[in-house]
Amino acid sequence: MRIYLEPGRFQIMDKPAPTHQTKTPTKKEALSREERQKQLEFQNEAVVHLHSLYNYALHMTMNPDDAEDLVQETYLKAYRFFNSFERGTNCKAWLFKILKNNYINRFRKNSKEPGKVDYDLIKDFYHSIKDTRRDSSEADTDYFHSLLHEEVYQALHSLPEEFREVIQLCDIEGFTYEEIANMVDSPIGTVRSRLYRGRKLLRVQLEEYAKKYGFNTGDDQ
Amino acid sequence: MNCKTARVLMSAAVDGEISFKEEKGFLSHLSACKECCDEFDDAKKTKMIIKERIIQFKAPQTLINSIMQLTNFDTRETEETLLYE
Ligand SMILES: [Zn+2]
Repeated sequence: MRIYLEPGRFQIMDKPAPTHQTKTPTKKEALSREERQKQLEFQNEAVVHLHSLYNYALHMTMNPDDAEDLVQETYLKAYRFFNSFERGTNCKAWLFKILKNNYINRFRKNSKEPGKVDYDLIKDFYHSIKDTRRDSSEADTDYFHSLLHEEVYQALHSLPEEFREVIQLCDIEGFTYEEIANMVDSPIGTVRSRLYRGRKLLRVQLEEYAKKYGFNTGDDQ
Repeated sequence: MNCKTARVLMSAAVDGEISFKEEKGFLSHLSACKECCDEFDDAKKTKMIIKERIIQFKAPQTLINSIMQLTNFDTRETEETLLYE
């Protein structure tokens, strides 16, 4: 199950916030049938991935304002070029690719300084959820389960970006190697080896946490 | 298959991105090599913990609204679609 948190409110949202209608009926009526068709398709194919895109943007920028800008830009561009989206392929992958390009253009090429990395905010997110360390009634080898959300998050973010990126795209977003290869502009073999090395690095980090809590990770045997 | 080849295939095996033929060779190496076998288990566990423990944030309402405006949809309708995605 996925828990969605709304930034700025620090609480788990399981109900939609009250809606403020922003309808402009006159404009809507004026739209051509074709345009309406495009909107409907865009809604079904692209807008449904809004939460995933926002999350990914937040992981990249570590700043809610930057994340919001990035996602907005991504949808603007996606809508404008929706005709070039190859029907029948994974729209989420297409959107992620646009998001990634936007990110590079904004924060790398133009050397625009990204907003302040807000570790405290992220920390608050994690503190706001009930995060209980599970009793390990199972064998010590299952120490992974004892780790807190926040610790796993920090471990993931301690990885160099090239490793964190593929792990996120694969394990959290569920993209195929082919889709990831296309997103990161690298061959599939590179994706494969980055995942292999990234997971190994991640494991070392996670074990550090586990050791702090006295779990036997098996290394000392 | 040797350990080196097995490790090249390791993540692909974890993610179900391995061909049937490769998997056969990979698994037969694992049954004979404890080191690779342990590493495979660890890699699977690492994937699982990431899936299980990384929290997904909900996009802020202001962002949802502005994307809706972009395409001029009925806000409430699409919000429901998003929530039960
Ligand atoms: Zn081996």
